[in-house]
Amino acid sequence: MDFATICAIVFTAVFSQNFILKQFLGICPFLGVSRNIKSAFGMGVAVTVVMTITCLITYPIYNFILVPLEIEYLEIIVFIFVIASLVQVLEIILKKLSKPLYNAMGIYLPLITTNCAVLGVAELVLGSDLVTNLLGAVSFGFFGGIGFTIAIVLMSGMREKLNALDVPKAFEGFPITMLIGCFMAMAFYVFA
Amino acid sequence: MNYLILASDPSKIDPIKIAIVLGIMLVVAIVFGFLIMVVSKKFAVEVDEREEKITGCLAGANCGGCGHAGCGGLAKALVDGKGQIDDCPVTSKDQKMQIAEILGIEYAGGGESKIVVKCGGGDNAVTKNDYVGVSDCVHQNMVVGGSKQCKTACLGLGTCAVKCKVGAIKVKDGVAYVDQKLCIKCGACLRACPKSIIEKIDGRAKVYVACSTKCRGKEVMDACKVGCIGCGLCAKNCPSCAITMVDNLPVIDYDKCTACGKCVEKCPKNVIKTLD
Repeated sequence: MDFATICAIVFTAVFSQNFILKQFLGICPFLGVSRNIKSAFGMGVAVTVVMTITCLITYPIYNFILVPLEIEYLEIIVFIFVIASLVQVLEIILKKLSKPLYNAMGIYLPLITTNCAVLGVAELVLGSDLVTNLLGAVSFGFFGGIGFTIAIVLMSGMREKLNALDVPKAFEGFPITMLIGCFMAMAFYVFA
Repeated sequence: MNYLILASDPSKIDPIKIAIVLGIMLVVAIVFGFLIMVVSKKFAVEVDEREEKITGCLAGANCGGCGHAGCGGLAKALVDGKGQIDDCPVTSKDQKMQIAEILGIEYAGGGESKIVVKCGGGDNAVTKNDYVGVSDCVHQNMVVGGSKQCKTACLGLGTCAVKCKVGAIKVKDGVAYVDQKLCIKCGACLRACPKSIIEKIDGRAKVYVACSTKCRGKEVMDACKVGCIGCGLCAKNCPSCAITMVDNLPVIDYDKCTACGKCVEKCPKNVIKTLD
């Protein structure tokens, strides 16, 4: 695993294949939890942590259990199972170990159990040409989460500013949010 | 693909393959089931069981009207002794009695709240400049603190009325007015008002002070025809000593108030008003 590959993974996961703005995965937290920067950041951190752990677990499961037994078609159901359980475990541990961290992040964890960005990273990491080993998979998950955080924090910053603006009646609320999302996605296409 | 063959030709079904698939799923299920069980035992956080019971008794609207993060937040504050039962405006009296029983404290009831706009100015308040712009109090307030001379005057553009989900606030003669029959006490208007002159007061209140200015008499006289000049006549004439003067404004203690109406009668500026 050389330095160039890592750089390529970082650039791919954060920018050119950004989970929200390029792959359109994880749109529900993107629209639902982007009202203010603080909660958007909390959500982003939670997603990053879960994505990293997901890749750490699902990549070996796929390559060392499912592939040798020739039952690759079980991947989605097994991954859903694994991710949901892991998030549950993570939430319980967080609650015990760190109350402030749980308060900041814990409330978003149940939302992530069924987040498509998390399942998406588990699937995409298998199909990616760049990822050849576990380290690559984990970094893909981590930087995918960073990309998610960047997108959602940018969005929430703009929505906070939006509160002070005089938006035409017909565009108030969701329509203008969707428009902003659209422009952001178009901007990110320069990386592709 | 294996499963396509399985579906199209039953004779090619391999029992061993099926056993492997079932086995894998079973193993995954058992492993993670066990993991969650162990972790939840090992990392169990002691939650006061009263907390859950109280959450069950609260209205469950999660409106945030109490100032906590949802009903669970208030339940926690109650158990910790940091909150008051009456912080929740929505929960019914019977439910509140039950909560008091769970907590083992005395609760007399009553204590519901009323929301009032503490300004009666409107068209009676002096306008210092014309405002031409978006018809919204928050915007007007950004421009040299609104167009009224009094700093705590209702701007009368009805931002609170827009935020009110039940249509309980009307703007009448340039000042917002809360219809107590429609109000659900959610507190949305309190948060919307840029002047913070909408207040939650005791539910037993029959009279309230419709002015928020802390200025002295002369200044008030110049700015508003119906502003409190801080003369203290209400406090002097109250037969049950329920009124005290704080910062040139009367504060009514609703524990003592008998709703006799003497203060309403005596106020030279008609600042103290009756609630229906």
